[in-house]
Amino acid sequence: MSVTTPDLVAGASLGNRSRTADAMRAMLKSEARLLARNPGVVVWSVVLPVAAAIVLACIPAIRRPSEDYGGLSFFHVYQPILILFAVTLLAVQALPDVLTRYREMGVLKRLRTTPASPALLLSAQLALTLLVSIGCTVLMTVVPALVGASWPRNVAGFALAYLLAAWALLGLGLLIASLFRNARVAAGLGTLLFFVLEFFAGLWLQRPNMPAWLRHISDFTPSGAGTQALTDSAVGHWPQLLHLVVLAAWGAAMSTASVRLFSWE
Amino acid sequence: MAVIDVRGLRKVYGGRPVVDGVSFSVEDGEIFGILGPNGAGKTTTVESIAGLRRPDGGSISVAGLDPTKEDPAFREAVGVQLQEARLPEKQTVAEALELYSSFYAQPRDWRELAERLGLIEQRNTYFGRLSGGQKQRLSVALALIGNPRVAILDELTTGLDPAARREVWGLLEDLRGTGVTLLLVSHFMEEAERLCDRVIVIDHGRVIAADTPESLAAGVVADQRMSFVPSAAVDLSRLKDLPDVRTVASSGDRVVVTGTENVAAAVVIALHERGIQAFHLRVDQPNLDDAFIALTHHDDHAASTDPPADPPADPVAVGSGMRTGALR
Repeated sequence: MSVTTPDLVAGASLGNRSRTADAMRAMLKSEARLLARNPGVVVWSVVLPVAAAIVLACIPAIRRPSEDYGGLSFFHVYQPILILFAVTLLAVQALPDVLTRYREMGVLKRLRTTPASPALLLSAQLALTLLVSIGCTVLMTVVPALVGASWPRNVAGFALAYLLAAWALLGLGLLIASLFRNARVAAGLGTLLFFVLEFFAGLWLQRPNMPAWLRHISDFTPSGAGTQALTDSAVGHWPQLLHLVVLAAWGAAMSTASVRLFSWE
Repeated sequence: MAVIDVRGLRKVYGGRPVVDGVSFSVEDGEIFGILGPNGAGKTTTVESIAGLRRPDGGSISVAGLDPTKEDPAFREAVGVQLQEARLPEKQTVAEALELYSSFYAQPRDWRELAERLGLIEQRNTYFGRLSGGQKQRLSVALALIGNPRVAILDELTTGLDPAARREVWGLLEDLRGTGVTLLLVSHFMEEAERLCDRVIVIDHGRVIAADTPESLAAGVVADQRMSFVPSAAVDLSRLKDLPDVRTVASSGDRVVVTGTENVAAAVVIALHERGIQAFHLRVDQPNLDDAFIALTHHDDHAASTDPPADPPADPVAVGSGMRTGALR
């Protein structure tokens, strides 16, 4: 799920693929180490949704199907929302935080003087954030299942829906990270975007309860399409093609735009 | 062969030309200095050469490449040390060097570079914990890690204490003759005098002088200045009458005389004839500082921000204290 830019580093064009791979490995290793030393924002982004998913799963009433949600249980409706809640927070808060700080401090300006391309740094950040959010998702799926909630019935569909949704949301985060110099402005915009995305995901008004027109809009947002695709897979269907296409389109558009519009200073 | 060729470089900010027709060329293997007061356009010039600014006019070629294209081949050929560029606080020296060497086709061995820069002891220290001198040396290391043909070093010793500054200079002197071309930006004249083969002086965005540091210093019409403590009372008016002497003054025991380049000999001989000895004799000759001040302070004081803040001391004769007089 990395950004599809052929030349991450100089020399890729000379057929030196191993060097691009070396640079990618070094960058990933370096960013992972830095993340481990400064885990603050990331930890806070995932604590709440992971805890909420586990707590909800422990309450039997919540696991019972209900007419209120078109025959789904409260847990079925909320598990995907919480999973995407974690991804969204990581994407629009944690990810831009790192990169805008680098920009403020001049880390990016220094990097610009080397043959490394922005895509190298952006893909490393994307990959790391994705790894963290996959970890959260595993926790939010496995622990509830162990305490009595249901496993996703279509695991392959669930994984596919999840990866595409993560790509779309992280792409949005990358775009914010690419554009802003001031970490606080980026954080403010990230927060605003977070609430909008959560609204369309159905955090306050669940998708089955949305008026049809609102649900149609929600279908075209990364969080709305993601939630529906995850819910469909959780109850055993395949995600609808519409939702998968919407997610892939957001992912591709956002990550391409973030590489194109990336500013070093 | 010129490895850097700058022709008629112009850069305008808000309607005001910051760099206004700068041209020069740097030969392969040279250590070349760009001098000038703060705000003269030095950094804008080198950042354009480094491909970090897009010029509004003129042309630049570095190692035969156009910096504005910012292609990877250019980045391979040119190492840059910038003012105000930092690393993540919690990245160690070794990690930074390792990461940066992964970007280049033929990187130097980072351990050897760290050794040479006196950073090997700090290899596991976080960037945020390094002293100013160590950060600068790491910065130089990152500029050199890719084995560049050209290294651009902007104000690399600003903010360093004198000991650290000399350390960095020592390193650059070691680089002489290794084939790498160094483009140095500085407002320390002592730095340029010690390191540079040739310099240009930029003021108000224009090149106002270009030469070797020695010729530049020698070209300045400035008085020699000497001072001493006489062994017995001296008739100052007699000294004043000597043909080589221009001014005579005394402060406490010490007598200060200025005049032509023969002034020291003339005064010592005159004293000797009267049986007087000159103790604590000091003679200062014009240096690049004086040339710099003479060149950049002729018209106004708008640009008179800071000639070097701490006294670079290079009297030719005894002692090491006195600075060349304020020749403005």
